[in-house]
Amino acid sequence: MSSVLPILLLLGPLVGSLAIFALPVGKEASRTVEIVHVAAIGFLLVMALAVGGVTLASGPVGAFGQWVYVDPLAAIFVGLVGVVGFLTGLYSLGYIRHDVEHGELTPFRHKLYYGFFNLFLFTMLLAVTANNIVMMWVAVEATTLGSAFLVGIYGKRSSLEAAWKYVIICTVGVAFGLYGTVLTFSNGSEVLADPHGAILWTTLFANAKALDPMLVKIAFVFVLIGFGTKAGIFPMHAWLPDAHSEAPSPVSALLSGVLLKCALFVIIRYYAITMQAVGPEFPQTLLLLLGFLSVAVSAFLFFVQQDLKRKLAYSSVEHIGLILLGLGFGGPLGLGAALLHAVNHSFAKALLFCGSGNVLMKYGSRDLGTVKGLLRVAPVSGVLMMAGALALAGFPPFNVFVSEFMVFNAGLGSGWIWLTIGAALLLTVTIAGFVQIISGSVLGKAPETMRKGDLGFATLAPMGLLMALVLIFGFAVPQPVTTLIGRAASVVAGGPATALEPPTPIYGIAPQLQLEARR
Amino acid sequence: MLDLALATILLPVAGAVLVAVSPQPWAKRICQVFSGLAVVTVLLLTWQFSAAGKVPVQATLIAFGDTAILGFTVDTVSVLVAIAVVSIGFLIAIYSGAYLGAGNREHPDIGRRRFYAFLALFIGAMAGVVFTDTLIGQLVFFEITGACSWALIGYYEKPKSLYSAAKALIITHIASLGLYVAASVLFLDTHTFSLSAIANLDDTGKTIVLIAIMVAAWGKSAQLPFHMWLPDAMEAPTPISAYLHAASMVKVGVYIVARSLMASGGAPEIVGWVGVVMAVITLVFGFLMYLPQADLKRLLAYSTITQLAYIFLALSLSVFGSKLAFNGAIAHVFNHAFAKTLFFLVAGALSYTTGTRMLPVLRGVLSKAPLIGVAFAVAALAITGVPPFNGFFSKFAIFAGGFSVSQAHPLLYVLVGIALLESVGSFAWFLKWVGWTVPGRPTDPVAAAAPLPAAMGFVLVVLVIMSVCSSFIAAAWLG
Repeated sequence: MSSVLPILLLLGPLVGSLAIFALPVGKEASRTVEIVHVAAIGFLLVMALAVGGVTLASGPVGAFGQWVYVDPLAAIFVGLVGVVGFLTGLYSLGYIRHDVEHGELTPFRHKLYYGFFNLFLFTMLLAVTANNIVMMWVAVEATTLGSAFLVGIYGKRSSLEAAWKYVIICTVGVAFGLYGTVLTFSNGSEVLADPHGAILWTTLFANAKALDPMLVKIAFVFVLIGFGTKAGIFPMHAWLPDAHSEAPSPVSALLSGVLLKCALFVIIRYYAITMQAVGPEFPQTLLLLLGFLSVAVSAFLFFVQQDLKRKLAYSSVEHIGLILLGLGFGGPLGLGAALLHAVNHSFAKALLFCGSGNVLMKYGSRDLGTVKGLLRVAPVSGVLMMAGALALAGFPPFNVFVSEFMVFNAGLGSGWIWLTIGAALLLTVTIAGFVQIISGSVLGKAPETMRKGDLGFATLAPMGLLMALVLIFGFAVPQPVTTLIGRAASVVAGGPATALEPPTPIYGIAPQLQLEARR
Repeated sequence: MLDLALATILLPVAGAVLVAVSPQPWAKRICQVFSGLAVVTVLLLTWQFSAAGKVPVQATLIAFGDTAILGFTVDTVSVLVAIAVVSIGFLIAIYSGAYLGAGNREHPDIGRRRFYAFLALFIGAMAGVVFTDTLIGQLVFFEITGACSWALIGYYEKPKSLYSAAKALIITHIASLGLYVAASVLFLDTHTFSLSAIANLDDTGKTIVLIAIMVAAWGKSAQLPFHMWLPDAMEAPTPISAYLHAASMVKVGVYIVARSLMASGGAPEIVGWVGVVMAVITLVFGFLMYLPQADLKRLLAYSTITQLAYIFLALSLSVFGSKLAFNGAIAHVFNHAFAKTLFFLVAGALSYTTGTRMLPVLRGVLSKAPLIGVAFAVAALAITGVPPFNGFFSKFAIFAGGFSVSQAHPLLYVLVGIALLESVGSFAWFLKWVGWTVPGRPTDPVAAAAPLPAAMGFVLVVLVIMSVCSSFIAAAWLG
C-alpha cells in the first residue's frame, strides 16, 4: 500500500534539522532552536506511532515507488527511533542547557547540536525504512556522519579522538557492507526477470530461492562484518566504548539504544534473504558464534571498566550479542525474543545513559571512583539509576528479564543447551558489574563538598517516562507491540506477514477452569 | 479468597512505595501498618479457607492465550507457610522499629527509608513466592527476593557488607539458572508454566525439571555447594538476618521444591537420592562448621544451613513414598521459622543491649536480662529438637518417615542414621553454649547492659510462645 505517511515521517526531522541550521545564533543559547527541536521530535513521535498503527491495521506501507517501505519489522525500529528519539531529545533540553551555562558549549554549538541531533534521527529513520538496498547502505553510512559531529561536539582532545576513531572504523567497516550490498544486487540482477528489481529488498526476498547460494553466503559474511561494525558486534566493536563515553549523554543513549539496532535491522534484512536462499544453518551458525563471543568478551570488559559510560557501552555490546543469539536460535520464539530484546534494551539503556548524564551534571565526572552517594545527593536520579541498573542486569519485574528469559527459552528449545547456559552464566558477570555500580556509586557516602538537591524536572521527567516504559514492558508487553513482533518474526522466517498472531494477554483473576475450558 | 491472597502480596508492596515517597520519620510506621494489614488479610484468608473446608483453589491472574504466566494457589501448605512468613515479617517490622535506633550499642542508626521500603517489598515478594502456582512466577519472585536481600544485607554500606550482599546476590542468581532451565523445559514440553503440568512430563522430563529446581533451591537455601553466601550475609542488620536468613528467604528454596514435588504426582527415585545425599553432606559439613564459631550470628547461620538440610532430607525422603516425611518437612518449615527467628532476635537483643554478640564474652545473661536469657534457652532447645518445643515434633516426623521408607532402601538407614547423629551432636553443642551464656555471674559487657526496649521484648515473648505452640498449630492444620 502506498501512503504519504512515511514521507511525512522522514520529512519531519529533516525539515526540523534544516530549520535549526538556518536559524541565526545570538549571544545566548537560542530558545527558538529548542522550540523547533521539540516540535520536530514531537512530530516524529506522532508520525512514528501513526506509521506503526497503519502497518498494524492494514499491512506494509510504501512510498517513493517502494524505495521506502515499512513492514512490521521496520515498524518496530521506526517506533524505536520515534520513542527513544523523542525522550532523549527531551532530555537533551536540560542537559545541553546545563552545558551551555557551564561554558562547555558555545551558543553556536548549542544550535549545531540540535541540528545534527535531528539530522541523525533522519538518517536512522532512512536506514530503517529503506527498501532499496543501496539506499539502506547510504543511510547507515550517513548515520555515521550525522552522529560523528555529535560525538565530537565538545571539541576536547579526547572527544575529537573518539569521533575520529568512530568515523574511521565505521566507514571502513561499512565499506564491507557495500561489498555485500553490491554482491547481492549483482546476484539478483543476474537471475531476476527485471534486473531493476534487484535493488529492492522486497523483490530480492521474494525471489531469494533463485539466487546463487554461494554468492549469497559471501554477501552475508560481508554484510555481517560491515553492518556488524556499526552494530558493535565483537570483534568490530572497538569504536563503540570511546564514542559512547565521549558523546553527550543523550547522544550516547541514542547511539546505544537506537543506532546499534538500526545496523542490526539491516543485518536482519539480509539474514531473511540468506535463510531463504541457503537455509538457516549457515547464517545461524555465524550469528551464534559472533553473538556468543560478543557476550563472553564484553561481559568481562564490562566488569573491569572504571568509567561509568564505558561500562554501559560494553554492556551494549553484550546485549547486542544476546540479540544475535536470539536471532541465531531462530524459530518464531528466538526471532521474537531477539526483537523484543532489542526494544527492551533500548529503553533500559537509554534510561541509564540519561542517568549517567545526571551523574555528570552533578559530579562533573564519570569515574566510578569519584562518584559516590548519588542516592543521597540526588535521590530521584539515584533511585532511577538503581532501578535501571537492576533492570539491565535482568531482574524482574523489569523488561529485560522478560526478553532474556525468552532468549534463554529459545536457546534450550533449539537444542543449544550448553551455549545457552554458558551465556546465562556470563550474564551473571554482568550482574556483578551492575551491582558494583550501585553499591559503589549510587550508595555510599557523598563527598562533603557536594551540594545536595536533585536535578531539575527537565532531565528527570524523560527518565521517569523511560522508567515507566521499562516497567510496562516488564509487566505486560502491550498488545500492538507483541502483534508487530510476532508478524515481524514471521516475515523474517519467510512466512506471510499476517501469520503468527501472538496470543492475547488476559488479566484479572480468572479461575483455572475457564482457561481449561477454552483449550 | 484469591483477592485476599493478592492483597497479601500487594499491600506490603504498596507500603514499600509509600515509604519511598514519604519523609523518613514516617517510614517505620508505614512499614509496620502495611505489614500488619498483610497479617490481617492472611488471617482472613486462613479463616475463609478453613470455613470452606480446606478445598484447594487455583486461579490464573495473567495469561498469554492459553499459557498461564502468573497464577495463585491456595491450599493447606501455601496458607500455612504464608502465615509464618507474613506474621514474622510483621513482628520483624515492630522489632526493627526499636532495633534501628540511636540506642543500639552495636550499630546506632536512624532507620533509613531504604530499610523499611525493602523490608515491606520483601514481605510482598515472599507472599508471592508462597502463593504462586507457575514456575515463571516463582522465578520472578525468587529474583525479587534476591534483589531485596542484596539491598538489605548491604544496608550498613560498609565495604564488607556490600561485598557480602553482592556475594549473596550473585551466588543465588547463579543457582536461579536452575529455575530458568526448569521453567524453559516445562514450557517447551507442555506449553505452560503451571506447576501442575510437571505431572504430564515423562520420567526424563520430570528428573530434569525437579533436579533443576533443586539446584535453584540449594542456592536460595544455602545448601552445599552454594552455602557460602549465608555466613557472610550475617553482615546484615540482625532483624534482617532473622527474617531473611532464618524465617523466609532461605525457605524459598525448600518451599519451591515442596511445591514441585506435590505437583509432580510421584517423582523419579533418582531425584530422591540426589536430594538425600546432598542433604546429608550438607548436614555433616554444617555441623563441623559449628565448632569454630564464636560469633553467635555465624553459629546461627550454620545452624540454619543444617536445619534446612533436614527439610531437604525430609522432602527427598518423601520421594520414596513417605507422606509423613513430607508433612514433617512442611511443619519444620513452619516451626523452624519461629524458633530460628527467636534465636536471631535474641542475638539482636544482645548486641543492642551489650554491644557485642561474641559468645565467649557473654555470660550470666539470665541474672541481668531474664527475658533474653529465657528466650536464649528456649530458642536453643527448640532448634535442637527437645520436647516440648516445636522442633521436636517436626524432626520426629522426619525421622519416623525416614525409617519407614528405609525398609525398602537399606542404604537410607545409613543416611538417616547420620542425620540422627548430627541431631544429637548439635544438641550437645548448643547445650554447651546455653550453659556458658545463660546462667552464672554476668561478665562486664552483660553487667553494663542497657535495658531492652519494650517493642523488642514484646516480639521475643510472642516468639517464645510460638516456639512452644507452633508445632501444635502445624499438626492440627496439616491434619
